[in-house]
Amino acid sequence: MTRVTDDIIIRAVARVMIPFIQLYALYVIMHGHHSPGGGFQGGVILGASFILYLLTHGLEEAKIRMSEIKAGLFSSFGVLIYSGIGLLCLILGSNYLDYGKLSTILKVVPAQARSLGILGVEIGVGITVMAVMFSVFFDISTGGELPEDEE
Amino acid sequence: MDSFFLWLGMGLFTLVLLCLYRGVFGPGVLNRIAGICAIGTKTLVILLLMGFIYNRVEMFIDISLVYALLNFIGTITVAKYLEMKGEV
Amino acid sequence: MNIHQIASIPFLLGGFFFFVAATVGLLRFPDFFCRLHATGKGDTLAVLLSLIGLSVYEGFSLTSLKILFIAVFMFLAQPTSTHAISRAAVRCGQEPWVRERSK
Repeated sequence: MTRVTDDIIIRAVARVMIPFIQLYALYVIMHGHHSPGGGFQGGVILGASFILYLLTHGLEEAKIRMSEIKAGLFSSFGVLIYSGIGLLCLILGSNYLDYGKLSTILKVVPAQARSLGILGVEIGVGITVMAVMFSVFFDISTGGELPEDEE
Repeated sequence: MDSFFLWLGMGLFTLVLLCLYRGVFGPGVLNRIAGICAIGTKTLVILLLMGFIYNRVEMFIDISLVYALLNFIGTITVAKYLEMKGEV
Repeated sequence: MNIHQIASIPFLLGGFFFFVAATVGLLRFPDFFCRLHATGKGDTLAVLLSLIGLSVYEGFSLTSLKILFIAVFMFLAQPTSTHAISRAAVRCGQEPWVRERSK
């Protein structure tokens, strides 16, 4: 599954399509209040775009864009954003993930602070889901054995 | 107009059942993939018709776009797997 | 009922007709390549006609623009996936069907 396909049609179509898929994934993450979607679904679409890149362009080019180390860092970073916002609310004297207290730092009214807090949490969830999905596919497609040129 | 959409959706559902015959009994893996891919495109139109019947198109349209996307990526993945394996 | 809602009916019926044609081809053709030929061409045209019809029914708004975006996506994706499957079938050694000649 990890070799480069020698088919120019699939590669060209994927190269055209991948940026629009990623833009749509960002739209799903950001627009999760008003339409179906949110962090998890947008993260799945973002991970699917990277999987499409790995399928069509091979393992070597995909490791330049998103290597195993970067996937691990991104998944930890998303969890850090999520729990960081939650702990910030806890430090400010409210419950865990109770975004109303964030209005004292953000200098906005509490309703807007709740909206912004949910947006931050969903960005964290999206980053984590994207990195974990790509990492799972990476491990399955290589059979658990990475090639030797991993720095 | 809603009843027209309803009858159109029921006709498409019948076609999905007919395609499912090819997906279940079709000789070999490749015929099954062709049947499932045909089901995916019909389901996309059924989702949009459901959105028009329930008057919530702006919600169902995102779902159908994601459905089309995942159908495409799944088909590419299975085709790549069979091509790498080299046999049916 | 407005004029653009009436104008969407021929598109939807045409799309349904091509869906029926593609399904009959998928069920009745003798060989894998013939079946893929039927669904690959017929379903693409049927999806395009159906989505254009629904977009005309909706009128001029953001929703109809999104439906047209799905149509463009399907117009790119459907022939590509058909090409990928048929290429995999050739690599797997599928033989095309030929009519038995009685000599």
